[in-house]
Amino acid sequence: MKGRLQSIETMGLLDGPGTRTIFFLQGCPLRCAYCHNPDAISLQGGKEIMPEEVLEIAARYKPYYGEEGGVTFSGGEPLLQAEFLHKCLELLKQEGYNTCIDTSGMGNPEFLPRILPLADTLIIDVKAFDSESFANLTLTKGFAGYLEFLGNLENYGFRGQVWARHVMVPGYTDNEESMREFVQILKPVSHLIDRIEILPYHTAGVEKYRRLGMPYRLEGVEPMDKERAKELEIYANKVFAEGLQQDRKKAKASNEEKFKILRDRQVVSKQEQAEMFASLRELPLLREVAEEDVEAVLSEIILSNFKAGDYIFRTGDAPDLMYLIYQGEMKIFYNTIDGEEQIFYIYRDGDFVGGLNLLVETPYRYVGQALTDCKVIAIPKATFDKYFYDSSVILRSVLTKSFERIRWAEELIQRLATSNASMKTAGLLLKLVKRIGVETEEGIRLELSMNREELGNYSGLRRETITRKLGQFKDLGYIDLVGNKVIIIKDLEALEGYVL
Amino acid sequence: MKKDMFERTEMAEAWRGFKPGNWSRGIDVRDFIQQNYKPYDGDGSFLEGASERTKGLWNQVNELIQEEVRSRTVRVDLKRFSGIDSFPPGYIDQEHELIVGLQTDEPLKRMVNPYGGTRMVENALSAYGLSMEPGLLEQFNKYRKTHNQGVFDAYTKKMRTVRSAGLLTGLPDAYGRGRIIGDYRRVALYGIDYLKEMRLKDKENFSDSATEEAIRLREEFSEQIRALDQMKAMAARYGFDIGRPARNGQEAVQWLYFGYLAAVKENNGAATSFGRNTAFLDIYLQRDLEKGLIDEKTAQELIDQLVIKLRMVRHLRTPEYDELFAGDPTWVTESIGGVGEDGRHLVTKTAYRFLHTLENLGTSPEPNMTVLWSKDLPREFKEYCAEMSIKTASIQYENDDLMRPVYGDDYAIACCVSAMRVGKEMQFFGARANLAKALLYAINGGRDEIWRDKETGQPITVLDGIEQNTQELLDYETVWESFKAVLDQLAKIYVETMNTIHYMHDKYAYEAGQMALHDPHVHRYIAFGIAGLSIVADSLSAIKYAKVRPIRDEFGLAVDFATEGSFPRYGNDDDRVDRIAIEVNRCFMEALRRTPAYRGAEHTLSLLTITSNVAYGKKTGATPDGRKYGEAFAPGANPMNGAEQSGALAALNSVAKLPYTGVNQDGISLTFSIIPAALGKNAMDRVLNLTNILEGYFGQRAFHINVNVLDKELLLDAMERPELYPNLTIRVSGYAVRFNQLSREHQLDVINRTFFEFV
Repeated sequence: MKGRLQSIETMGLLDGPGTRTIFFLQGCPLRCAYCHNPDAISLQGGKEIMPEEVLEIAARYKPYYGEEGGVTFSGGEPLLQAEFLHKCLELLKQEGYNTCIDTSGMGNPEFLPRILPLADTLIIDVKAFDSESFANLTLTKGFAGYLEFLGNLENYGFRGQVWARHVMVPGYTDNEESMREFVQILKPVSHLIDRIEILPYHTAGVEKYRRLGMPYRLEGVEPMDKERAKELEIYANKVFAEGLQQDRKKAKASNEEKFKILRDRQVVSKQEQAEMFASLRELPLLREVAEEDVEAVLSEIILSNFKAGDYIFRTGDAPDLMYLIYQGEMKIFYNTIDGEEQIFYIYRDGDFVGGLNLLVETPYRYVGQALTDCKVIAIPKATFDKYFYDSSVILRSVLTKSFERIRWAEELIQRLATSNASMKTAGLLLKLVKRIGVETEEGIRLELSMNREELGNYSGLRRETITRKLGQFKDLGYIDLVGNKVIIIKDLEALEGYVL
Repeated sequence: MKKDMFERTEMAEAWRGFKPGNWSRGIDVRDFIQQNYKPYDGDGSFLEGASERTKGLWNQVNELIQEEVRSRTVRVDLKRFSGIDSFPPGYIDQEHELIVGLQTDEPLKRMVNPYGGTRMVENALSAYGLSMEPGLLEQFNKYRKTHNQGVFDAYTKKMRTVRSAGLLTGLPDAYGRGRIIGDYRRVALYGIDYLKEMRLKDKENFSDSATEEAIRLREEFSEQIRALDQMKAMAARYGFDIGRPARNGQEAVQWLYFGYLAAVKENNGAATSFGRNTAFLDIYLQRDLEKGLIDEKTAQELIDQLVIKLRMVRHLRTPEYDELFAGDPTWVTESIGGVGEDGRHLVTKTAYRFLHTLENLGTSPEPNMTVLWSKDLPREFKEYCAEMSIKTASIQYENDDLMRPVYGDDYAIACCVSAMRVGKEMQFFGARANLAKALLYAINGGRDEIWRDKETGQPITVLDGIEQNTQELLDYETVWESFKAVLDQLAKIYVETMNTIHYMHDKYAYEAGQMALHDPHVHRYIAFGIAGLSIVADSLSAIKYAKVRPIRDEFGLAVDFATEGSFPRYGNDDDRVDRIAIEVNRCFMEALRRTPAYRGAEHTLSLLTITSNVAYGKKTGATPDGRKYGEAFAPGANPMNGAEQSGALAALNSVAKLPYTGVNQDGISLTFSIIPAALGKNAMDRVLNLTNILEGYFGQRAFHINVNVLDKELLLDAMERPELYPNLTIRVSGYAVRFNQLSREHQLDVINRTFFEFV
């Protein structure tokens, strides 16, 4: 299995965390107007390389990787050489390397479940924010496919973090409106986002076009002003953090949207409803509820129909509903690191799922999909809290049911925690604000007694990760660092945005 | 059992609170440090800014420095000759100086040192439109012979030819050899009186033979004793009695500096380095801090003021010399950090304080801050250094994990990359051989490719018995065999030339003051050098892997080369060519060892060009790697400009393969320049990334790196508007220079060199 390689950059310090060896693979389906690697577009160009050679080269640069560095595949569009990429990632992962794919999302969906679970970081280049601009810029109609890619990352088994990037060309997206659109597009993966970066358009690649005798479509466009780009990058990050928080507030205030879906599928037949309610009364779940409350409970829960193949819940769903299977079968699964679908359970009539999520308020970590046509009863968190929370029987039942999953859930939570360094760091800072924060004119001053190492341990992050994250927050204007022992919080709101 | 000197009153008073040891029973500064220092694991948050009086003082000095740079003039004492006690005391602004002492009676006023050679002095003076007071130099010439005269009396014709051809260059035959580090700490720890007492004993103990060596040694001891007297007298002029040991931090800094000041008053050594002093001074400062005698602000102020003095060392040199070395370097190298043999690192708060002067006083090429890197340095310190490198481009790094097994844990760097045990070892400095030119000799039958006989216009044969290559296409084996023959001959002449130079230097320009601060019997290194290794490696690789057709002139000299096809270049982590570089390197070292050295010195070798890579280029014809006649060499062990195809770490990996221990044991220099934007997205990323690069590079047994983090635009702007960048500092090759002092040619060389700017 040979790949086609355009070039190698041994000192990649910008494309993924830490020090990285970057393999630029040949071939790209897009024809971006500003492409500065036009010589990487052809799938035929470059030279051949074997996955084993990639591994050998990585070994030569391993001493430079530190705690976070590793190998990045860029291009071109690295997903285009899917089999080669898969083989490389497999080898690298076997040896414990940190991996990163720098992509525009233009890959054959067939391969994605094999490739994406093997990537620790995805750098996703968001070319444009609507299909027309996308087509104008890239000369391809890939926008829908692109959104599809973004929306299904976790269904493909991706368990890492995302760096979202956008190349800003003057006169095109150098405005706040565009930044809001950019953030909007990232919504489906917002819980995975580690960095949002704006790359100012530069003209360093123009010369290559002349040499290759290719026309340059942005002839005459000035390079993007770096300071303006930085401002807009900060703006985008701010909007992103605000968005995160709004989402959570919204979710807490009302479950309307989620409920709407359920109601759309609601059992309409009065008779059927009556039958279901009747048998519900017989369930141990309701036996604990006081007689006078049963009617209220029944009026708050939603009875819905799902067709075989429908998703009932997905990874990342907020813990605002638990589900009881009235009739039919539903599978609970996640996509493993090998790209396999790992089914945990098949739930049948009378089983319930999500109780623990409601109890400890953690989002769903797995996917629930109807195997057969199902009738499902959704119990909103408010109802659960009001009528079930005090019931020891129900709690025991939920805990027993959940016990087998706890081990796995812990592992997963831990994995997700490392991929959410922003949230962890922001959370830690907010905790410190409460404990040792002193209001000053410059902002809230934190005098730390811990060094970076201890700070990292405290928040479950590696020293290098938390240090970089603090650097990024400083760069975004959220905090200021005075020496290694003083942190000044400049923008509490922005930090709060990252925290649940 | 020797008596413990704690029993002496003046020692007991000065050493109160210190833990005794071998050091208190005889001279052993290393033991003093090991018994008493405290490693510091924390970060730089304890550091203090400069005091108002220090700022005021520095402003005055800086103004004088800027004036000197702007006006391109120098001030010289025209009435006296150099010497430890030749000048009245001098001050900048006495009431604000915590640490005193200048080379002459006024700041930045230079001394005339005629012992190396009077012609050099006359040239330097006349270049600035100056001359000594009438009669003085004439008298000197009449009654005293110089080092330079001695050397030329003894040079053979062949030595002169090789020198004139530029095959050997930069030889210290007309200027001070430098590269000797006195153990200036001994002045502070023991006081001059005890050092003199010991040296008198040494002389006494060495009285049972009268061989040439023994006679010389006794004469040297006597000179050293006189030098110690002069040091004491010199300090007395400033009102200090350095006969006794220093009693507190301020005295320790002052005494130490007096020891160093004596060295730069006595000698015009090309590189007169400072040693390894931070852990030593930290013991004194820590004692004062613990007693509550000083606070952190004062501790920093003492170091700031010491550094101001170190920044003021000047020598009278010709403008050509300054051009060769790109500025006015004095190599006041201070070695910082490293790890002890017991595994404890040697980073102290004073290591931070020393580096912190770059912020308190702004950047500066001197002192030459050299961090001794080890994997076992505290991570906080590594990151602090990286941060300072990014901010100031004023730090170089050398691998303590490579040096410690060879030189122990109390060595220091002389000049750029030369390690030696402080007070126990010295070096005979020997510039370098131009191996790119040597390769051309292998093709041209030992004849120089440029040099012509002035009368006949015929080429000049520099090396005999080398066969003229007449091949249409150069054959690797043929060229390699011939090249080895050239290296063998060259090595022999090189060692013999060096022996001649150092014999005469010892005889006519002996460094009595510095040697008085050494053990009586020292180990000597004789340090050879290579320039043009990357050109040789690439050229041989071209001959081996591509087709190289020499273009010959009417004398059959290859004056250019047409190369077809591609070939691996040094700097891409490609073993095919990197192995050639190593092979050439080893071959030359082995050849050098075959000729015994003067005074039983141990042969060592360096890959270091200082900034003469530009000058070498001018004097070397076109080479088979595609380099044209006159084009600059790469500095030190750097790959050639533009050779790297896969980014900087591939280049670093290539350099890391060159062997240090036993081969290039006098150092392998690499200069690495990168633009800030390529080093990381934000300030913190840049610090961590640079730290990881250093960690990875040194982890592979690499030896040295100069780090510049600078924007090219900034340098271009500084060329056009130097007044806006008075102190812009940039690392060149084992040392740093003030960018404005570089010639335009050197400035362009720096800018055109590979800047890693992959973003």
